Amino acid sequence: MNRQPRALLSVLLILVVGFLGWRAWNSARTDQEGGTELVVSDVSTRGGTLTSSLRSEPRSFNRLVEARVPTDLYSTLTGAKLVRINRATGEPEAGLAEKWTISPDNRTYTLTLREGLAWSDGAPFTSADVVFSLQAIYDAKAGSVLASAFKIDGKPIEVTAPDARTVVLTLPGTFGPGIALLDNLHLVPKHKYEAALKAGTFAHAMAVSTPPAELLSMGPFKLTSYAPGQRLAFDRNPHYFKKDAAGIQLPYLDQVIFEIVPDQNAEIVRLQAGQLDTLQQQVRPEDIGTLRPLEQQGRINLIEPGVSVDPDGFFFNMRAPYWSKDPRRDWITHKEFRQAISHAVDREAYANTVYLGAGVPVWGPITPGNKRWFTPNLQRYGHSVDRAKEILAGLGLVNRDADDWLEDPKGAEAQFSVLVFRGNTSVERGAQFLRDELKKAGVRVDVVALEQGAVIERMFKGDFESIFFVVLTSSLDPAMNADFWLSSGPSHFWNIGQPTPATDWEKQIDDLMVTVTTGVDEAERKKAFDDVQKIFADNLPALYFVAPRLYMGTSSRVGGVTPSILRPQLLWNVEQMTVTEDR
Amino acid sequence: MIRRAGIVLASQTLVAVLAPLVAPYDAGEAFRGFLHAPPMRPHLEGLTPVVHPLVLTDLLESRFERDPSRTVRLPWMQRDNTAPVFLLGSDDFGRDVLSRLLYGARTSLGLSLIATLGSVVIGALAGAWAGYRGGWVGDAMMRVADLVLVLPVIYVVLVLRAVLPLVLPASTVFLLVAWILVAVGWPYVARGVRAIVAVERSRQYVQAAQSLGAGSFRILTVHLIPACAGHLLVQATLLLPAFILAEATLSFVGLGFPDPVASWGTMLAGAGNYNAIARFPWTLASAVAIFLVVLATNLIGARGRSA
Amino acid sequence: MARYLLRRLGFALLLVLVASSAALLLTRLAPGDFAAAQGLDLTSAQREQLRETLGLNQSLAEQYVSRLGGALRFDFGESMLYSRPVSALIGERALNTAVLATTALLLATIVGMPLGIYSGTSSGLGRAAVRMVSTVGVSIPPLIGSLGLVFLAARTGWFPVGGMTSSAGADVTWSAWLADLVRHLPLPALALALPLAAALEKLQSESIETSVHEPFVAASRARGVDRARVVLRHAWPASLRPVLGLYGLMIGGLFSGSFVVEVVTSWPGLGRLMFDALKARDLFLVAGCAATGAFFLAAGTLLADLLLAWTDPRVTSGDEA
Repeated sequence: MNRQPRALLSVLLILVVGFLGWRAWNSARTDQEGGTELVVSDVSTRGGTLTSSLRSEPRSFNRLVEARVPTDLYSTLTGAKLVRINRATGEPEAGLAEKWTISPDNRTYTLTLREGLAWSDGAPFTSADVVFSLQAIYDAKAGSVLASAFKIDGKPIEVTAPDARTVVLTLPGTFGPGIALLDNLHLVPKHKYEAALKAGTFAHAMAVSTPPAELLSMGPFKLTSYAPGQRLAFDRNPHYFKKDAAGIQLPYLDQVIFEIVPDQNAEIVRLQAGQLDTLQQQVRPEDIGTLRPLEQQGRINLIEPGVSVDPDGFFFNMRAPYWSKDPRRDWITHKEFRQAISHAVDREAYANTVYLGAGVPVWGPITPGNKRWFTPNLQRYGHSVDRAKEILAGLGLVNRDADDWLEDPKGAEAQFSVLVFRGNTSVERGAQFLRDELKKAGVRVDVVALEQGAVIERMFKGDFESIFFVVLTSSLDPAMNADFWLSSGPSHFWNIGQPTPATDWEKQIDDLMVTVTTGVDEAERKKAFDDVQKIFADNLPALYFVAPRLYMGTSSRVGGVTPSILRPQLLWNVEQMTVTEDR
Repeated sequence: MIRRAGIVLASQTLVAVLAPLVAPYDAGEAFRGFLHAPPMRPHLEGLTPVVHPLVLTDLLESRFERDPSRTVRLPWMQRDNTAPVFLLGSDDFGRDVLSRLLYGARTSLGLSLIATLGSVVIGALAGAWAGYRGGWVGDAMMRVADLVLVLPVIYVVLVLRAVLPLVLPASTVFLLVAWILVAVGWPYVARGVRAIVAVERSRQYVQAAQSLGAGSFRILTVHLIPACAGHLLVQATLLLPAFILAEATLSFVGLGFPDPVASWGTMLAGAGNYNAIARFPWTLASAVAIFLVVLATNLIGARGRSA
Repeated sequence: MARYLLRRLGFALLLVLVASSAALLLTRLAPGDFAAAQGLDLTSAQREQLRETLGLNQSLAEQYVSRLGGALRFDFGESMLYSRPVSALIGERALNTAVLATTALLLATIVGMPLGIYSGTSSGLGRAAVRMVSTVGVSIPPLIGSLGLVFLAARTGWFPVGGMTSSAGADVTWSAWLADLVRHLPLPALALALPLAAALEKLQSESIETSVHEPFVAASRARGVDRARVVLRHAWPASLRPVLGLYGLMIGGLFSGSFVVEVVTSWPGLGRLMFDALKARDLFLVAGCAATGAFFLAAGTLLADLLLAWTDPRVTSGDEA
């Protein structure tokens, strides 16, 4: 009778010990495995839907003919590049091309494509597609907006495809940014659009009415639906070639949705309500106060990519014929006048008033946000109304009568008009601030707000006294913005498209820009561009006051973010973004 | 009824005219360190009303605190530009809402009154002519009037305004919008006047005047149009709020007065930002003002119609 | 009856033609064209090319004739702003506006009409209260109403501020989408319905007050019919004439889209479309919107007249000029 309970007890004991031992051994085993696992991404965050806002509708899905934001975002999600510039580090990354070599004379780039690349319809991606894409870019009938970016010194690049996986690009001259050029090359499938290019209808290919199934993708996502006026929906492209460091195929997200919200106020409200995970562009300073409490509650993250590269700029019309009969011609085009204006503006107060303190003073078009190319050693015109008045007096502008304004010896009043776009609050406020500051120095400014189109027309025609606006740059490398720096450039706003440089200093800049655009030694290019900036700051064809700090607002469920100061600040790397399902 | 309407309109005009004297600050006077300042409540210190000045605690979030250790007199008695007094708060440029409300009354009410007057005069003349003389001119006029009446007013105003240069100086906007409002408003007056005149012209006193040799113009202006006085006043009380609203709508969507100008509509333009409304509700002050004026006019008008 | 209908149809067509032609003409005469409105996005060369492509360099007569020819073929051109056929664009947006309009109309009727009948046939405190509320309601035009409601929504979170639907992924079930729509409707619908309900109430009240004193009503009462039945079956239909007249205008106005409410609440409707098209100088879209608006207006008044003929036995098929 006593033996049975004792036997039972020992069996139980053995079982319990065995069970505990098994558990201990199991956990030890997983710990071991955890130690050797690559911690790059938590597989549990794969999946989910990211919802972003989009401020305007796409006019076309053809990135070769349409460069505006919606089409650019479409291209970011559905396109892949041969070589991609990592927007956060500025370094080139292998994309569709797994490796490349550059010839010793820096004019030939030979790229090797990865194996097994395919478009979303299964057709293989080969070097023929690259050749075709460049063909479409240079095609006159297609009228691609990328054409000027791919012409060096006005000449096109030669491209050949020795075999299906090799692309050889021969440049007509050396190009400073080098392989970064390919970051602008958007690719289109030859098998789909060759006929359209031959027929001259390529510009209408990939129109917004195209059924999404007809739109091919090489990128992390493909378009699944477009509800005009409402949203675009992108699903994961299962054939995307890229994998992360742990070998997990990108993208992490299942779906990305763009809600079309034209109104910036409605955007913020939706972000607050949790209907949007991220916004197309940065948050305005006045909205930060609204979002801060939510940030403290942990529902929203405010990311600061850095200082914007687009400061508010102000420039006079420098075309000599415009002023030839004007009574103010003796002083208004002189650089001292602009230097005086620069002294008169209190940039700290500008940042406080226009950007609620979220801005840094700048004295040139390159801001501290552009870390590689910014030079702090520029002439700074410190805030001093007295110095401004001194300089103005040196030009002959003194207050000669009872009113608040200065006059020159002939009696012409110190005044000018400045055109601004209606509806861009920070620029309008900036112009008003300028007016108030210059009043203290005795110069009268008339702020004239006009429609965007009207301002642009007058700028191109040269029919304006001065203009105050923001130019949005898309690249940090000045060689990509040569249109602005060169006197012959179409974006040389104060005196567009000069056949020969009108001034000595513009000639100097033109000469230095040759080194910047074609030099291959980084240090040389930087030195040359530093000199360009110095000449610019000395002659002040355009005055810059403040560069805003960028704030990106996302919901707290968004992760995997690599912020950049270039647009799109977060979505440029959407393939590595993640969302968590629970809040 | 006529007296009541007169009192309301007169007081509105008075406020508008006296704005420069009554308003503590200029409409465009911006205090840089005081964007979105909240309304300051005055209290009595002895016999003088004073307020505690505001101190900025966070620029980015536009947060202010009252400084209980100091007091400042009201700006009508003593102005201190380092410590402005905002009885109704300040807007996103740091401008006093109360002052802008008063100056805005001048712009909005002024425009609407002038447009109402114009509509009434032109509508009365056109309608009376059509009703008295008839003929193809009168018929054509009434057809045009009917066409305008059928269309939704605000749309016509929007289209007419939008096809002109979108951004114009304030004085041009004033004249332009006034003319557009008159063009849209006269048919309402004309139709009623025509109906009344068509009946009145066969009355004895008119026939008597005619037999005495009075010309058409005299008959119209001395006898017939005054017979429509009741209708004209009723129409005026209907048109005025509609015009105030039309100006507010245009300015709100950016097609009315340009920004530095204070009008009730431009004050609302910043109200497109829902969060700004939630955090700084005093920016809706002009919406309340519009509502009150429209309500008052409707009350008077209702009394008038039932009289 | 048939002749009457035909005449009204003819008038409607004329209205549509006049409205769209006027819109085309006005937008054409407006300073700046679509290419200019694009701003810095285009260089001068691209702007000129765009002008060529869009046919903006044609003379007014050429453009008008080509548009007219297109319209007869039911081709209303392509929108420059959206790069899509005008008819498709207008169709979608008109549908969105129709949803809003129907809701607002229903709300206004459900609230305004019964209150009007009540206040017109009773006396005392109830009537005075209703009339006061009405006067207040009529003084809250859609602009003010929508701003106030947005403020309420932003502060309380009772309903979403703006938009027509939120996203929940592109593939949502019908019922979920409908529920979402219903959550977004109150804000704009109330902003539109409030003043309309008040106007309706006032008109109905005035009108039924008059018809209640008509002899045939007294006759029915004398025959012993109870008050409620008399009011609803006899007095009310007779009072509908001016009310339905207002309906006609209301329907027309609502269905052509209130751009104010649509702008403030970000509702993707017809009014908003016309506003955006005007600002961007998108010629064909503006003409299309104007034509649609005019069509709805004419349809609204026609519908009102038909309703009246149906409900009010006193109306014959004569013209009411």
